Amino acid sequence: MIRVSNLNKSYNHPDMVLKNVSFNVQKGEFVYLSGPSGAGKTTLFRLLFADIKPDGGQIVIDGLDLIRAGADRLARLRRQMGIVFQDYKLIPNYTVFDNVALALEVAGTPRQQIQKRVWKVLKVVGIERKIERLPVQLSGGEQQRVAIARALVNNPKIILADEPTGNLDYEIAEEIMRILYYINSQGTTIVMVTHNRSLLQRFKRKVFYLDKGSLQAYVWPD
Amino acid sequence: MARLKDRLYPVFKLTVNNIRRHPIINLISITIIAVAMLMLALYFLAYVNADRIVSGWRSDLKVAVYLDENLSPGRLRQLKDFCLELKEVKSLNYVSRDEALARFKVTLGDDSNFLDGLPENPLPASLELLLDAEVVGYSDVERLARQLRRQAGVDEVVYGSYWLRQLFSLLRMVKYFGFVFAIFLSSVTVFIVASTIRLSLFARRETIRVLYLVGATRRFVALPYLFEGVFQGAVASSVALGFAFAVFKYVRFWLREQVPQWSIAAQLGFFTIPSLLLFLLLGTLLGLAGFLISSRWFSCD
Repeated sequence: MIRVSNLNKSYNHPDMVLKNVSFNVQKGEFVYLSGPSGAGKTTLFRLLFADIKPDGGQIVIDGLDLIRAGADRLARLRRQMGIVFQDYKLIPNYTVFDNVALALEVAGTPRQQIQKRVWKVLKVVGIERKIERLPVQLSGGEQQRVAIARALVNNPKIILADEPTGNLDYEIAEEIMRILYYINSQGTTIVMVTHNRSLLQRFKRKVFYLDKGSLQAYVWPD
Repeated sequence: MARLKDRLYPVFKLTVNNIRRHPIINLISITIIAVAMLMLALYFLAYVNADRIVSGWRSDLKVAVYLDENLSPGRLRQLKDFCLELKEVKSLNYVSRDEALARFKVTLGDDSNFLDGLPENPLPASLELLLDAEVVGYSDVERLARQLRRQAGVDEVVYGSYWLRQLFSLLRMVKYFGFVFAIFLSSVTVFIVASTIRLSLFARRETIRVLYLVGATRRFVALPYLFEGVFQGAVASSVALGFAFAVFKYVRFWLREQVPQWSIAAQLGFFTIPSLLLFLLLGTLLGLAGFLISSRWFSCD
């Protein structure tokens, strides 16, 4: 599903942020990208949805070479990906419904289907009763559920999540993890960036460990 | 059709959202564009009306050719033929000495009695030339007068020289200045729309980032701004036309009250329906041009 080969990135600075990073993620896998602060996790994450371009190497997702693909192809690929951020990235003046519906509207989904699908996905993340609320009227955990619902509503093949539990207390973080586990159990590939070791130990999956820009090892934590 | 509706609905939703979320930016932009468009509208109104009035005056362009007292009938005939062959001359009227005196008496009215005491008619005969407004410019009238003065049997040639010179040069200036003025104002309008869009893009950079993240194409992100630019142009030109109409009504009222004897007010006219539509289209196109200039800022980076 995801093939990364010899990836380099430097931001025009002699110190490389990523050095020859290579890894594969199979369809339906749940993997963590972990490592200390400044290891290059977020850079690698942004490269995975072509938010930035690498200096060298190759990223192929679902058969599409991200470096060679044009803007329209990349836009279509992003519709098959759900992207979740630590700071949720919800549109403040859009309601819960509008925030989630946006991902469907962008894809040109018929309006009759949008209502049904948004309702269904909000139910999966357990926030269907706050459909008319604005993000500011929700707690951090609820906002993250909305962000996950938005990532999920297009039935994506892959979900990329950057520290989705980073701003949440442990109990809420566990709930979010259970939702992600459930989504993964339905066949969706998930790549999650986290530096939270207790989370890695509690929800054990394959870990790609980045340190100083190099993918050092992938391990199963004890 | 349904698919097109599904595609356009979110774009219109974003457009309305843009306008509602940034009313001050939009209001400032519309106001500035409206002022620029109002200046354009007033200029065109002034020019079109001045042209209409002056065209009326020009159709009355006359040159009086006063003849020698001892002109023979043969030479008079030759002079008439000469004048009628000139391309600037539309028609010709011979005014005999007696007719000139009769006209003068009518002009003087009750004061004309003193003319009866004169030993002889002091007025010369003349040829009144009515000029063709389509082919006559000020320089043509001057040249024509010089040409006529050179003819044997012509005593004097009279035309409204100072008045004509002022009128023609003013109109020429208005025409050329107006062209430059219109280009300048249009450029200002386009620049304002482009700047507004840029401001709006900056204010909404987070939303735009979210749009790209959920798979929006550049076209999807840019279209609401196109509609916004067109909206600003259309609203501003409508407002400008409204103000221009109010100014027009006031000026016409003022002229009617202050100088009724000139009868200028009756000749004044506002834009015709096609001109109104053209003006609205111009405003809309200027909005569109503003968007096109700003379109290079619609990057997902």
